[in-house]
Amino acid sequence: MKKSVYSALTAALVVGASGGAQAAEGGMPQLNFHDFAPQLVWLLIAFVVLYLIMSRLAVPAIADTLEKRQAKIQGDLDAAEKASEDTRAAVDAYQKRLANAREEARGLTRARSEADASSATAELTKLGEKLTAQVDAAEQRISGQRAKVMEGLEDMAHDVAADVYAKLAGSAADKGALGAKVAAAAKGSV
Amino acid sequence: MHSPMEQFEIKRLLAFHIGSLDASFTNSALWMLIAVALATVVFVFGMSRKAMVPGRLQSAAELGYEFIAGMVRDNVGSAGKKYFPFVLTLFIFILFCNLLGLVPYAFTPTSHIIVTFAMAATVFLGVTIIGFAKHGAHFVSFFVPKGVPFVLLLLLVPIEIISYFVRPFSLSIRLFANMLAGHTMLKVFGGFVVMLGLYAGWAPLAFIVAFTGLELLIAFLQAYVFAILTCLYLNDAIHLSH
Repeated sequence: MKKSVYSALTAALVVGASGGAQAAEGGMPQLNFHDFAPQLVWLLIAFVVLYLIMSRLAVPAIADTLEKRQAKIQGDLDAAEKASEDTRAAVDAYQKRLANAREEARGLTRARSEADASSATAELTKLGEKLTAQVDAAEQRISGQRAKVMEGLEDMAHDVAADVYAKLAGSAADKGALGAKVAAAAKGSV
Repeated sequence: MHSPMEQFEIKRLLAFHIGSLDASFTNSALWMLIAVALATVVFVFGMSRKAMVPGRLQSAAELGYEFIAGMVRDNVGSAGKKYFPFVLTLFIFILFCNLLGLVPYAFTPTSHIIVTFAMAATVFLGVTIIGFAKHGAHFVSFFVPKGVPFVLLLLLVPIEIISYFVRPFSLSIRLFANMLAGHTMLKVFGGFVVMLGLYAGWAPLAFIVAFTGLELLIAFLQAYVFAILTCLYLNDAIHLSH
C-alpha cells in the first residue's frame, strides 16, 4: 500500500516536472489505449509459449532429475547402512571366534597342565615306591650281614676262648661249658 | 533532456494488423520474448544434462522449481499440484521481465498496467472458475464468514465481496506501480547526475547504485508476491478457507 502511494506520488511529481508536453500527449504511456492490443497479443503469445516450455519440457525434466537424485541418495544411504551392518556382523563374528579360540586355548592349557601334574605325581609315586623297595632290600641285606657277622664273631669268640683257656689251663676246655659261657658273655655285651 | 516517462513508451518495431487487431511487434513484445528465451536457456538447456550433481545453470533451474513447488505445496496442498506449472510460469515470467528491465536501455513489460492486469485478471478468472467448478453454487458461501452474528453479516458480506473483486486490481497495480516507481526514480536521479555534472553528480550516482540493489530485491519480491498471492487465491477457491 505504502509503495503504491509512494509510486503514485513519484509519478505525479514526474508528470508535473516534465511539463506540458507529456500532458498534451495524454500523460503516462501506460494509459495509451492504442498500445494495449499489441501488448496483450504478445503477452498471450509469450506466456503461452513459456507455459508450454515449462510444463512440457522443464517441469518433467526437473521432477525426473530430482526424483532420480532422491532415489540415488536413498539407495546410497541404504547401501551404506547395509555395509555398516555387515561390518558390525563381521566384527561380532570375529569377536566370537576370538573368544572361542581363547577359551579353547585356555582349556587346552588347563588339560595339558593337569595331565602333566598327574603324570608327575605318578612318576613320583613310582620313584618313591622304588626307593622304598631299595631301602627295604638294603636293610634286609644289612641285617643279614650283621647276623652273619655276629655268628662269625661268636665262633671267633669260641675259638679265642678255647685258645685262651688251653694256654692258661694247659688242657683243652670243656667245649659245652665254654660255649655256654661265651654265648652268655656275648648276650650280655651286645 | 528526455522525460523520465519516455522509457515506458511503446515503440512499434514491426507494425502489422491481424484483421482489425493491432498485433504489432513492439519493444514490449521483444523484451517479453527475450525473457522467455532466457527462461528457456535456464530451464531447458540448463536441465539438458540432468546431472546428479548439478552445475550452476541446473542449480538455478532446480532452485526456482523447488522454490515454487514448496510455495504451492505449503499454501495450496496436494490439490495445487495441477496448477504448479502455471504458477511457476507466472513467477518466472514476471521475475525475468522485472530483472531484464533493470538492464540499461531495456524495456520492462511489467511496468505497464495492461500487462500486469491481464495476468491478474487471468488469475482471478481462473481461480473463480476453479472455485465454482469444485464447489458449484456452494462457492458463494465463501463470502459468508462462519460463526458471525446475522447483523454483522450485513456488513461483512459486502466487504468480503468487494475485497474479492478488488483482488485483480490490487494484484496488478502492486506489480505495475513498483516497476513504474523504481524505473522512474532511477531515471530521475540519472537526470540529476547529468544536471549536477562532474562535481556534484557523484551523490545521485551513488544513490542510483544503491537503489539499483534495492530494485533487484523488488524485482524478485514482486514476482514472489504475485506468485504467492496466486497460491493463496487458489487455496481459497479449492478449500473455501478464510
